[in-house]
Amino acid sequence: MAKKVMVVDDDEKTVKFLTAALEENGYEVISAYNGKDGLEKIQSERPDLAILDVMMPKKTGFVLFKQLRRDENLKNMPVIMLTGVAEVLEDLDAESGDTHERPYDSLREAMRKSIMDMRDEGLVKPDLFIDKPIDPELVIEKVRDLIGS
Amino acid sequence: MLVNIKIFWKLSGFFLITILLFLLIIQYIGSALNFSLAESIFDNILQFIFIIVLAIAVSAGFAWIFVRYFIYHPLNRLINGMNNLADKEFDFRLSEDEKDEFGLLSASFNDMASMLSSSMIELKKNRDYLSSILESSADIIITVSASGKIQMINTGAEAALGYRRFDIVGKPIKLLFADVKERDKAIDKLKYADSVVNFETQFKTKDGEIRDVLLTLSRLRNPTGGIIGTIGISKDITEEKRLQTQLLQSQRYAAIGQVFTGIQHSMKNMLNALKGGAYMVKIGLAKDKRTMLEEGWEIVQEGINGLTEMSMDMLRYVKEYKPKLDQVDLSDALSEIYRVIEKTAGNKGISLELIISSELPKVMWDARMIHSVIMDIVSNALDACAWKNYNGIEKPHVSMRAYPDENNEDFIIEINDNGIGMSEDVKSNIFTPFFSTKSRAGTGLGLSISARMIGVHGGNIVVESEPERGSKFKIVLPLSGPGKNKEKSNGQKSYGS
Repeated sequence: MAKKVMVVDDDEKTVKFLTAALEENGYEVISAYNGKDGLEKIQSERPDLAILDVMMPKKTGFVLFKQLRRDENLKNMPVIMLTGVAEVLEDLDAESGDTHERPYDSLREAMRKSIMDMRDEGLVKPDLFIDKPIDPELVIEKVRDLIGS
Repeated sequence: MLVNIKIFWKLSGFFLITILLFLLIIQYIGSALNFSLAESIFDNILQFIFIIVLAIAVSAGFAWIFVRYFIYHPLNRLINGMNNLADKEFDFRLSEDEKDEFGLLSASFNDMASMLSSSMIELKKNRDYLSSILESSADIIITVSASGKIQMINTGAEAALGYRRFDIVGKPIKLLFADVKERDKAIDKLKYADSVVNFETQFKTKDGEIRDVLLTLSRLRNPTGGIIGTIGISKDITEEKRLQTQLLQSQRYAAIGQVFTGIQHSMKNMLNALKGGAYMVKIGLAKDKRTMLEEGWEIVQEGINGLTEMSMDMLRYVKEYKPKLDQVDLSDALSEIYRVIEKTAGNKGISLELIISSELPKVMWDARMIHSVIMDIVSNALDACAWKNYNGIEKPHVSMRAYPDENNEDFIIEINDNGIGMSEDVKSNIFTPFFSTKSRAGTGLGLSISARMIGVHGGNIVVESEPERGSKFKIVLPLSGPGKNKEKSNGQKSYGS
């Protein structure tokens, strides 16, 4: 049976091409355009993996992610997060203390805080950060690494 | 007052004694020659003349002694004292033993000498003080004669310029200027004023090193007002200039960094579409799937459009803003905007409302600019609603209101939303170019362009916002049109919460 992947992103274009790429590689795809719908669909459909955009209306990718990790039934589901600042977040994850963040970027700052909060709460971090612009072939490769084909 | 003059008594006493002596001599000689004054005055004229001459001679002798002792000596002492004073021997004092006018004169001479001496001490103290200020000042202080020759330089100048006093005094001042024309420029400025303040120029040290200085130049005049030269006080600002340049450089780098971050942030969304679309086109072609090819192509085009829009925005941002003024009917303009946005709002489930005050004036402004500003702010308002998780009875809502301000000088277009609102941090940055809270759409230039457009109309944008409560943007435009008010800063303002 085909493995199920959830794609949550408010950008229709991204959802469209990720869906096409995943389906092309034999995965079944469920999608949502905001965090709220995303959580509902994940709870009902129980996908094998979720790809979440960080900045989304209604509920940001991080809020959604935290809810997944807190849920006993969902906490082991692999999660890939799509961001524009993956590199910085990886730095942060390496516990290099203060990252070379630019105060200008409030998005970066917000994400830094979220990660810190998560760490404080003892939650397992997302399995992978992928930077935008997304390379669909790279996503397929990573999905395959995480859940097989 | 003559009676009070003591020397008069001395004179009178002496005169009396002389007359008495005179009579005594006549009497004595008369009796010796056996003749009485009364009888023989006409008998023996020769004898009489002899007696008179003798008496006069004796009296003159006494008078000479008197003058010599009581007048000549004291006067001489006074003259001597004056000479001593003239020779700057301020400690010299006269004896005040005499009880006569000369004694008084001596006393007042001594008083005068004391006063003079204390004034001289005071004067010297002041002079020493002033010259120690000049000397110890770290500033470069140089006096120059009317012919442009250096007359005096202080230690500060020596230290800063590397010259010793004896090398440089008497040399032309132009020697010290890195560019000799600079000195003429500074002197030219003195034609219109007695001083030139903070003239920025460069000095050359003895070793040929260039120092940046702020020169304050003043005319030196003699007591009758004639020009005798100039005094220049210069502050060495080489280090400050260096730091300033460094700071400017680092600010420039920081600004460039911000711009790059902003451009990168905007570009990656477009690139995302291009990359994803291109992938679909590739698969569509490889596997001959027409639908995927078409959908992919559409996404590629969206990416291209996004990039085009961004480059246009950047162009708009850097170009000069010159409003093309036209008489605009506000009601018409706002109704048109309303019609354009209504559908978009409806699609997103947001209710849109337009409230126009009945008396809307006709104003002179650039209709396209105002249109673009309102569109920008309203679409931000729609986004703010789309991002909020409404629960309960509250429904997403955006309202546009247009009304004259209470003071009747401005006209206000107000855009309210009950969307996600902004934190203080976000609010204070919204007019900064390339600042964006949106992850996908937008170049981060919208509001900074809007603020400038309103700015050239002589107006400003006032922002109030509170997280989770919503935002209020007030576009304030002067009814008198852009001509009256100059562009206000950047036309932006944000306060309240």
